[in-house]
Amino acid sequence: MSWTRRSRLTPDRVAGTVLVLLALFAPLIFSEYWVATLLTQMLFLGIVAASLIFLSAYGGMVSLAQTAIYGVAGFALGNLTTNGNTKGLNLGWAEFPGIVVALGVALIVALVFGALSSRSYGIYFLMITLVLSVIANLFFGQVTSVSGFGGISGIPIPDFLSRTAHPDRLYFATLAVALIVYVALRYVARTPFGLTLQGIRDDPVRMSSLGYNVTLHRMLAFTFAGFIAAIGGILFVWWNAQIAPSTIGLSATIDVLVIAVIGGLYRLEGAWLGALVFVVINNYAPDIGFISERFHTLIGVIFLVIVLVSPNGLIGLWERVTAGRRRAIPGDITQERGSAEPTPVG
Amino acid sequence: MHAVRGPGRGVFWLALFIAVIALVAAGCGSSGDNNTSTSGNASTAAKSPTTAATPAAPLDTPDPQPAVAPRSGGSGTPIKLAIMSECKGAFGAFDNQNMAGAVSALSQFAGAKPKDPNNPRAGFTGGAIGDHPIKLVGVGCGDDSSDTAIKEVRRLMEQLDADVMVGPLSGDESIAVANYAKDHPDKTFVDGSAGAQDTTLKVQAPNFFRFNGDGAQWNAGLGDIAYNKLGWKTAAVVADDYSFAWTSAAGFIAEFCAAGGQVTKRVFPPLNTTDYSSYAQQMPTDVDGTFVAVGGAGLIPFLKAYEQAKGPIDAKKFMGNLFWGTPGQFEQLGPRVAGAYIGGAGTAGDLDTPAAQDYATNIIGKWFKSFKPGGDAASQAPSTFTYGYYLNTWGLIKGLEEVKGDISDQSKLQAALAKVELPAPYGTVKLDANRQAIFTVYDQQLYMNNGKLAVKTVSAIPNVDQTFGGTFSATTPAPGRNSPGCEKRDLPWLGKSTPVKVVGAS
Repeated sequence: MSWTRRSRLTPDRVAGTVLVLLALFAPLIFSEYWVATLLTQMLFLGIVAASLIFLSAYGGMVSLAQTAIYGVAGFALGNLTTNGNTKGLNLGWAEFPGIVVALGVALIVALVFGALSSRSYGIYFLMITLVLSVIANLFFGQVTSVSGFGGISGIPIPDFLSRTAHPDRLYFATLAVALIVYVALRYVARTPFGLTLQGIRDDPVRMSSLGYNVTLHRMLAFTFAGFIAAIGGILFVWWNAQIAPSTIGLSATIDVLVIAVIGGLYRLEGAWLGALVFVVINNYAPDIGFISERFHTLIGVIFLVIVLVSPNGLIGLWERVTAGRRRAIPGDITQERGSAEPTPVG
Repeated sequence: MHAVRGPGRGVFWLALFIAVIALVAAGCGSSGDNNTSTSGNASTAAKSPTTAATPAAPLDTPDPQPAVAPRSGGSGTPIKLAIMSECKGAFGAFDNQNMAGAVSALSQFAGAKPKDPNNPRAGFTGGAIGDHPIKLVGVGCGDDSSDTAIKEVRRLMEQLDADVMVGPLSGDESIAVANYAKDHPDKTFVDGSAGAQDTTLKVQAPNFFRFNGDGAQWNAGLGDIAYNKLGWKTAAVVADDYSFAWTSAAGFIAEFCAAGGQVTKRVFPPLNTTDYSSYAQQMPTDVDGTFVAVGGAGLIPFLKAYEQAKGPIDAKKFMGNLFWGTPGQFEQLGPRVAGAYIGGAGTAGDLDTPAAQDYATNIIGKWFKSFKPGGDAASQAPSTFTYGYYLNTWGLIKGLEEVKGDISDQSKLQAALAKVELPAPYGTVKLDANRQAIFTVYDQQLYMNNGKLAVKTVSAIPNVDQTFGGTFSATTPAPGRNSPGCEKRDLPWLGKSTPVKVVGAS
């Protein structure tokens, strides 16, 4: 077997192909509830977590503001497209102009958030983004003209994606968007911009000495990741038909970080893996008598176990298994060629 | 070469940080669980001997409703029922009252039996409509946020595949659920005790039915009392900053202003506020009275903060909404509020009619012995939550009986439900075109009875509808921080409330 062929059949690629095929045929395998509710939720939460992982893995920025930007897009779409039956502006726009403007608003907010936070590093960056997230939550909770405590209900979904049209359509649309997001994030990571970003992650002082505008790169990366999170927000409000300040509360903010850490904070694939684990536990824990309302305790225990056993999350476990296999093959070219994947944060 | 590293210091600190934040978040989330203490010896509205000013015959006296024989159905397709209750947040303490109302109705009218007479949340066994057994597929746990409500409703209706649902408890939850209902015409929803106006007046989901009143209806008569009986010319309003409390305040404001009063200040603390001191400071003292629509776990902290900021409460200058008379909660109010008038929310535990007393002792008190937060079951029968879930579940049962339990086509059930009329304990309940209850509203007053705070019913207004005598419509602005405005206008029941005969009247 030539090395080229062997490289095509890496465990990652085989597993990735199997998972994508599984996702494509999910409606044939799983119940409607699983597809329309759990897997769809997994996909859009994965998109939001992927935006965080992109920032963390390639930019060294662990952001807690992704949920806020996701919420801004959702609230904007809700205000633009609802028509009279709920709180908010009830502007009654059609869905597609609504999406464009909602994403535009989220992009601007992400740019502002990025400008405010991109000069900070490490724990300070984390705290600033946490503050921005809390501000967004309180803003929508307090400003009743755009939301208020109860949020916006009855947000319309384009007819062709609605469950009455077909229960699986939103799932497939979300799957397609998730795949595009995944490809786009990987592509951006390999562009000169992405490589510069990785350089800044590893040594901002050196990159600055080389003439790169470190702050601008970090701000643009944050804005780009915010745009990705905003796409997740649009899919969320279509799926949920409703958004409230609690959707982007502290608990939801932590949930996205927990998803990313469970999946693995340094590889994009971990986002969807973590989201799957989170969504399934979130859904079924209330049915287990002794766990019931102790869902956060359960997810906290799982989180701690993962951090202790495999700090790189479930993806880290997978890599350990496959790296073990690769080491068993003498002269494995993939070991010698290295990888374009980022190293874990920390 | 790429290799997997061991845990670095960064990951360690990150994990520690997240763990701390998660613990803080978990602490915030559980704050509503113990917001009302158990009060086993609470004085009860139903049992309190009271004095009515002018004892008169109740306007509308349906007969007591006998229990049907126990039954568990036959080979018919089971009716999968879900109940959306509330176990966290500001109203989490009323979880068992909700469940007691729903399970009592199922036991009284569908032949079910509670699993545990001291734990309504345990559910029930048996129960059927015709040949179709009733199967409780799940009980939802809300936390007063619409977000959690929708998550729970999805679990109940989609994962557990319920056909019909009773609930939820709280205002914004019900708006979200009514919108959800619109998107799921093949399922049928009846409210629990939620009282936001928009739920039925604005959303108008054809498969969402509400046999309880909204917050404005529940306060009919209070504005009249304030202006014409207590002589208030100006008033301040403080209400939780969410749909139900806005609706509750709207009822008082619309009527007080219709009578000629002026509302000079409106203060809206967010729901689940724990420190009300800054809001209490905003309350004016140069007004004739204050209407308080802070509910659930917030009421006692608000009143304490008010007393700290403005001095002792003068009961003649205060009015409250249903939370001032909800068994399991009002007992904790201090004696200084004795004399304050309150909105009865369509309940009158001391009403001297066979149906009202039978409801407490032979229905709620029959199927349950004791449950939190109020202790004795019968004394909690007049709770808005017990009564709301009871009425709505009963309404659903009557609708199901009309179609003989066959819900293969839910549009038939929905058509039947729209025509249901309930000969309810505190007066007949019928639905309007938006599937919203029209019923008799009672105004009540707190008083001291043998050293304990108690509630007596003072007057009734029959046939209160959601439009509030034409004040509200689908096109008027929804109740909010600034609406309704304050304007003098006609209200059909101004000056026409009727005294009622109550138990122990002398």
